[in-house]
Amino acid sequence: MMLFVSSILVLSISAIMLLLTAKSKIINACIFLFSLIFGCILFTIPSLDSLIHLTTMKWRMHSNMPIGEIFIGIDPLSSIFLLSSAVLFSLAGIYGYGYLKDSPNSKTRVHYAFYQLLLVSLLLVVTAKNAILFLIAWELMTLCAYFMIVYDDEKSAVRNAGYLYLIAAHAGTFFLWAMFLIMYQYTGSFNFDQMANVSLPLAISGLIFAFGLIGFGVKAGFIPLHIWLPHAHPVAPSHISAILSGILIKSGIYGILRIIAIIKIFPEWCAIALLVIGMISGIGGVLYALGQHEIKKLLAYHSIENIGIIAFGMGMGLWGQIHQLQFVSIIGYAGALLHVFNHSIFKGLLFLSAGSVIHSTHTGEIDRLGGLLKLMPWTGHLFLIGSLSICGFPFFNGFISEWLVYRSLFEGALNSNLGVLVIISTGIVSLALIGGLAAACFSKAFGVIFLGTNRSKGHDNVKEQSWLLLVPMFVLGAICVWIGMFPSTMVSFSLNAAASVYGKPLSSLERSTVIGPFVTVSTLLLILFCITVILFLLKKRATRMLPARRAKTWGCGYHEPTSRMQYTASSFAQPLLSVFRNVLGYKTKGTGLQGYFPEEKEASSHIVESSETFLFRPLFSFIEFLATKLKNIQYGHTQLYLLYFLIFLLTLLTWKMN
Amino acid sequence: MIAEIKAILHICAVLLFSPLLLGIIAKTKAFFAGRKGQPILQTYYDIVKLFCKGNVYSTTTTWIFQAAPIVFFASMLAVSLVIPLGSMHAPFEFWGDFLAFAYILGIAKFFMILAALDTGSSFEGMGASREAIFSCFSEIVLFLDFIVLGLLSGHFMISEMITGGIVSSWKFSGSELLLVTVSFFLVLLAENARIPIDDPDTHLELTMVHEVMVLDHSGLDLGYIIYASAVKLFIFCALLVMMVMPCGQAPWIKNVFFVCGMIVLAVLIGIVESSMARLRLNRVPQVLTSAFVVALIALLVVLTKMTL
Repeated sequence: MMLFVSSILVLSISAIMLLLTAKSKIINACIFLFSLIFGCILFTIPSLDSLIHLTTMKWRMHSNMPIGEIFIGIDPLSSIFLLSSAVLFSLAGIYGYGYLKDSPNSKTRVHYAFYQLLLVSLLLVVTAKNAILFLIAWELMTLCAYFMIVYDDEKSAVRNAGYLYLIAAHAGTFFLWAMFLIMYQYTGSFNFDQMANVSLPLAISGLIFAFGLIGFGVKAGFIPLHIWLPHAHPVAPSHISAILSGILIKSGIYGILRIIAIIKIFPEWCAIALLVIGMISGIGGVLYALGQHEIKKLLAYHSIENIGIIAFGMGMGLWGQIHQLQFVSIIGYAGALLHVFNHSIFKGLLFLSAGSVIHSTHTGEIDRLGGLLKLMPWTGHLFLIGSLSICGFPFFNGFISEWLVYRSLFEGALNSNLGVLVIISTGIVSLALIGGLAAACFSKAFGVIFLGTNRSKGHDNVKEQSWLLLVPMFVLGAICVWIGMFPSTMVSFSLNAAASVYGKPLSSLERSTVIGPFVTVSTLLLILFCITVILFLLKKRATRMLPARRAKTWGCGYHEPTSRMQYTASSFAQPLLSVFRNVLGYKTKGTGLQGYFPEEKEASSHIVESSETFLFRPLFSFIEFLATKLKNIQYGHTQLYLLYFLIFLLTLLTWKMN
Repeated sequence: MIAEIKAILHICAVLLFSPLLLGIIAKTKAFFAGRKGQPILQTYYDIVKLFCKGNVYSTTTTWIFQAAPIVFFASMLAVSLVIPLGSMHAPFEFWGDFLAFAYILGIAKFFMILAALDTGSSFEGMGASREAIFSCFSEIVLFLDFIVLGLLSGHFMISEMITGGIVSSWKFSGSELLLVTVSFFLVLLAENARIPIDDPDTHLELTMVHEVMVLDHSGLDLGYIIYASAVKLFIFCALLVMMVMPCGQAPWIKNVFFVCGMIVLAVLIGIVESSMARLRLNRVPQVLTSAFVVALIALLVVLTKMTL
């Protein structure tokens, strides 16, 4: 535990040093990188220990502050979040240094400092054992993330996205306060351990769950609470988008799992709510992603989709927990937790490689790019690995966690009653649909950006990025393949973490029935790989005798194909979007050409964010309307405000007297 | 060691017999058209011919274009290892083999779509886009069928689902099995680019799906693709035949039933192709939706029976 505390100290001291003392750029970068990597190593050691041995560590410090005591602890549940933070924060930090190398010192210094503080607050969030400390760390995390998002604060789009994030996050925190106060009311303590000892009536635990679902759901990005996500991710620097999507939104998932681990007994509708949210967020996220034209916005919507998959796992976990089906429950939680880890790896990889593309070409518009695989081979192949992982294809890590989620759904289906069976079957089908749509979306993204020919002029001198940006991506890509081919380590880690949510670990026999199929799948994949090699060698032999010729792409008789004649991302997605046009509000502008010599015309398509347009805009304009009415009592005189204050106190006093 | 030999034999059997199905389909179509038709072994000749030819690659393409046929073929062969054939058990039987089946099919499709986009041709982009959308629909029908079979048999393993206890229950749950078979047949037609979803015989129309995606492939690569498509058709037909096979019989009856079933199914596909026109493109999702609805009714029947 001392290692963990010292890592917090190292990170905070370096943050203060970066904030307060003006030094040259290179020294700042050194302080940043060394303390970051050192700090990450320091807190990885206890978290690995806890994951392997299923141990719980605690550390408390009494203080005279109103929060009572500082009480933190590491258990397997926190550890899996710590592990993904360690990997992504250190790698994104190195990438970030390379990414911002040409920015002015004054700006990067503050950026680095808040980066460290964000990590510190995140460490506190996932280890806090006291509700007040948790909320303070939570607020600190929100603020640090805000400062990271508004890095390019001279642009108004960036500022607006930042405000939106801040408002959404604070609205969420409001629900969290309410939730913890209710918990305090019924358990008499802010201490998580003591809260766990009191059993609550079902109605109250349901109420707590509902508040938690809203409060944490805003951070996690459940539809329809996700509106900040697609605005904030694209405007932040790419390594920050990776952190936001890989780590920050997962803190919401952590919160929900922590509440489940504390209270344990919930009414059944909570599990069903999670499953339904999973369906809506999963399918909605990927459909919205299909309609995006900007690469980082597309990736942001895919985060919502993956949060949906995680919600499936949590829903099955909670459902199993309620019905005392330990196997279903632990596999569900394990699937969710492993997907949390995996998503932070492959989404980090995707955001970083998308960032490299934007850095090189100065645009994120998918339809303006093309053929980049030849110009940026490393970045391109790493993006391909990320795409294959996020679609859940075998050989890569996404497959493993989706498999666990599927397994909990199927095992649950064999043990459930009619009503739940309908929901579980819908869940399985929607997971399959999500898989298919994600594959469509990433074949579009990778195919249009990296394959074919370039769609706009001036990209001929695009170059591969420096090794500083490539090395972190290589590591992430390697982890994707490692987990995909040798899943046993991470699966057993996530089973341990799931056991700490459920309260009881699986027997070793049950563990082997979970891990057994993965070994068989790996063998099958190995055979697939061998067949591929054999076919490749056969082909090589054949081409030695008959060398391949090179020619232009066949244009069906047309001899001068240009890059503008390629299929675009918009046209690729059009058939799917028009099938779902009523759900998505898919609109196309611009009509077909007429006559033999048509004039130049423009056509565009976009989708309407329904929760933003139809839910939050009306809600906020109503609030604004109310606030305008309140303006009538605002005169700008301090004396008058003091009078209001006095009246308020008097009212309180009389109310209390009675 | 025996397991390895069995696996190799399994793959050899699939490789040997799969092009035959295409020949039977073509013969049936020729019969209905009143023609003599090509020899029944024509697909073998085509594949051998293509294997002896050189490749032509477009200058726009990258390695992905060259790798896709290999990945496609290898995936189909690997996937065949989880399918039982007649009295032969599948070399790989494990929980969730149908997930591996669906996702390895997915990776093959993903690479074929990328290869199509790699050429930079708008025709192939069009085919790729359509392939992506139709796969989404057929995948969910496939999963729904697996759910029904899994609930009926109580196991989520292909061998248990289609050869285990359930098929003795044709007597008890004939209606839902029939519905599943119908919807699976529609998926089979869609996945293998048969009429009425897609026409495997023409290349040059704007409405093509699978065929337009492989416009730029030639020589050995095209041979791999044709062979892989034949294997894919074989796998789907085998699944369907095993699904309707009565269980608890002697191995030789199973084998005879399997061989006859495959031939009958190929003839059936030929009949469907001869008697129907290809559907308009925007009708295709509707066909798959109706397959989905059929599978959904099967699920509902299962659910009601479970509660009764």
